[in-house]
Amino acid sequence: MDLSYQEKSILGSLMAMVVVYSIYFAGTLRDIGRSDFNGSSLGRLIFTVIAIIVIEIVYHIVLAIEGGVERKDERDILIESKAYRNAYLVLATGASLVITYAIVAGLAGATRIPLTPFLAVNVLLLFMVIAELTHALTQLFYYRRGV
Amino acid sequence: MARGQIHNTIRRLRFDHAEMTQQELAEKVGVTRQTVIAIEGDKYSPSLEVAFRIAHVFGVPLEQVFQYVTGESESAA
Repeated sequence: MDLSYQEKSILGSLMAMVVVYSIYFAGTLRDIGRSDFNGSSLGRLIFTVIAIIVIEIVYHIVLAIEGGVERKDERDILIESKAYRNAYLVLATGASLVITYAIVAGLAGATRIPLTPFLAVNVLLLFMVIAELTHALTQLFYYRRGV
Repeated sequence: MARGQIHNTIRRLRFDHAEMTQQELAEKVGVTRQTVIAIEGDKYSPSLEVAFRIAHVFGVPLEQVFQYVTGESESAA
């Protein structure tokens, strides 16, 4: 399959995100089940962000060495804007769900799953990751199908 | 109003201009080769500016490069 520089770049970022954030959320879920959990995953989050940045830098250096760097043109920008629209919808939906849950939980008092700051941050982070994945997948879709 | 499609003759024009490659056309127009491929395959309709630049590269009027085809015009032909 003949992939453009932009497609290779997006595909690499997508795979890095899936792998690194899968490890993050798997670890976080494991922590929640532990009895001695202190309610924070800040260290893991910082490590995850650094890992993503390092992987992205190394991957794009490899792409540049391969000689495939291309400047974005109007088609790339159009596809990117369509992808941002879809990603925004996902993120806005996620944020709205968390806010609605917090309001309902506040009005109803104790709920089955209390919305702790740890849970709120991680649910929001999950929606941010899903939004990023939507962004990448939308771009790949339009690059293949056409705009 | 019937929705039409934009077709183009870029492949033919490239052939007529000393078999210009997609990469050469892309460089002259200021877009990527992938965009030229997408335009040629009717998968992307370029902006008016890029359309004019393509026509300018081949030294022909815009309507010789791009044609707007509706269902009505196809059945009339």
